[in-house]
Amino acid sequence: MKRIIARSLYTLVVLFVSSVAVFYAIRLSGGDAIAARLPASATAEQRSAFRDLIGLNDPIYEQYLNYMGGVLSGDLGRSLTNNADIFDMLLEHGLNSFILGATAFALVFVIGVPLGMLASVRRNTWVDNSVMTFAVGGMAVPNFWLALLAVWLFASTLGWLPSAGCCSPRQLVLPAIVLAMEGIALTVRMTRSAMLENMEQDFVRTLRAGGLSETRIVGKHVFRNALVPIISLAGLRIGQIIGYALVVEVIFGWPGLGQVLVNAVLRRDYPVAQFFSLVLVAVVVLSNWLADVGYTVANPRLRKA
Amino acid sequence: MTAEREAEARRVSWEQQLAVFEEEQHVPPSRRMVMRMRHNKLLLLGSAIGILVLAAGILGPWLSGADYTAQSFQDTHLPPLSEGHLLGTDGLGRDLAIRTFVGIRVSLIVAAGVTALALVAGLVLGMMAGYFHGWSDKLIGGIVDFVWGFPLILVAVLFAGGLGEGLFPVILAVGLVNTAAIARVVRGEVLSLSEREFIEAAHAGGYSNFRIMWRHIFPNILAPALVLASYYVAVAIIAEAALSFIGLGAQPPLPSLGQMVADGRNFLRQNHWESTIPGISLVLLVLSVSLIGDGLRDVFDPRLRHEAKGVDDK
Repeated sequence: MKRIIARSLYTLVVLFVSSVAVFYAIRLSGGDAIAARLPASATAEQRSAFRDLIGLNDPIYEQYLNYMGGVLSGDLGRSLTNNADIFDMLLEHGLNSFILGATAFALVFVIGVPLGMLASVRRNTWVDNSVMTFAVGGMAVPNFWLALLAVWLFASTLGWLPSAGCCSPRQLVLPAIVLAMEGIALTVRMTRSAMLENMEQDFVRTLRAGGLSETRIVGKHVFRNALVPIISLAGLRIGQIIGYALVVEVIFGWPGLGQVLVNAVLRRDYPVAQFFSLVLVAVVVLSNWLADVGYTVANPRLRKA
Repeated sequence: MTAEREAEARRVSWEQQLAVFEEEQHVPPSRRMVMRMRHNKLLLLGSAIGILVLAAGILGPWLSGADYTAQSFQDTHLPPLSEGHLLGTDGLGRDLAIRTFVGIRVSLIVAAGVTALALVAGLVLGMMAGYFHGWSDKLIGGIVDFVWGFPLILVAVLFAGGLGEGLFPVILAVGLVNTAAIARVVRGEVLSLSEREFIEAAHAGGYSNFRIMWRHIFPNILAPALVLASYYVAVAIIAEAALSFIGLGAQPPLPSLGQMVADGRNFLRQNHWESTIPGISLVLLVLSVSLIGDGLRDVFDPRLRHEAKGVDDK
């Protein structure tokens, strides 16, 4: 309990520090870019007046407080490129990102855990070898390259699935699998090694001596114990998926938060870049906190400390 | 039945290892490393691919001419093995071989920059955190945990948001995250080392902290740190390629493997080689670097051989 409280306080500090850092970094380059949008004929006084107007001459902590006040009251300003309300953008793209991310997160475990179990049960056979080759491949192939190959095979050549777009289930398949791939590979490896480790434990020998069937020992007792590290590290997968979503959403034209942020950075749309960086950073920090809590709860030794 | 076979296999491999170990005892330590490397097939395979790709990156532009910007509008989308263009040309008639070679070179430069940054900073921070307990450990540990918890690509996109696109923010961002990853491990190693008797003896001998860190701790953590760094070389190469793919990394006309894959994706159906050639080069590069990393780990840090294979959380 003490550990959870300590980690929660640490998370609050981290949330504050990272929001200041992100705000400051993007404000520095972004402020001048906004001021540069004035017509070339503007005089020095007009430029200065404009900077005053949008608050660029205030001390930076005041700018931060003003901005955070705006965020909390839902007044986020508008995009410089298409004048869309940023809060509406958050709702629309946030939902898309959530659908994609949650599907990928589920796939990581729905595919990764059974494959890892299969490999561990059929240890040192061709099944094990091919599953592990797949797992190594999943880690070595960069996901944008995998995405391209998947589009080429399943969309262009076979025509089974659409290559891009949002948001029908058919359009979700390819991006979700690509996004999940590295997590699946990691989960397969973790499950396999955790299963093998637990199969060597004394309690398994005891159960065998007690005459329990092998299926029951592996399927129930070993599996339960092997699941602990996988569940407790599940929170780390969230951060990973958010990172890769930046690339995968761009490739598949999936209109989520990642695509919005990357486009805003490329088009120098600073109000949008500013806000969506803050959103993604906050989500990552909170999911790390969740991972930490999960880890603590799953480890009785840490729970007491 | 499988259990017996496994036990037998384990006994045989154990006997083989023992034989190798005994043989090694008659050989000076420097030769021993070389011997272990020769026994390691992964390392050999990785090095073989690595040397090929490295040669392509270093010698390629020099052999084939280094003008990666030369366009020719009569010669667009030429297939591989065309006259004058060994690997064909892209949509602007630029030679794919030259661009791939230069792209490999860019990947290697980024990887070298990132690794140098991460290794030096990670070693310094990790040693300071692990050696001086107390507030410096808490502060550095807090910062390192904070940075390490962030996805690489997101950090790089934030840096691009602050500094603009290009290779420099990519190197900084990836270097920063890898620094945290290396510092974490170094800190742990130093913590356990400083409990050991030879460090206690050095304290008793009245040596300064700096001397103990430099002469006694540093040589002991260099090998694991190098092995770890070799793993993060692959991470850096993939990250650079991914960022260049979405347009935040290398800026045209400078080619990068990720950017070339992105350029070619519109012509995938008719002229797939414009994407597949840089893509396959990238996969080979990453594969060789990872194999070398795994092999080095086996050679320098055999006790990690079994532990590190399965569980790695990043």
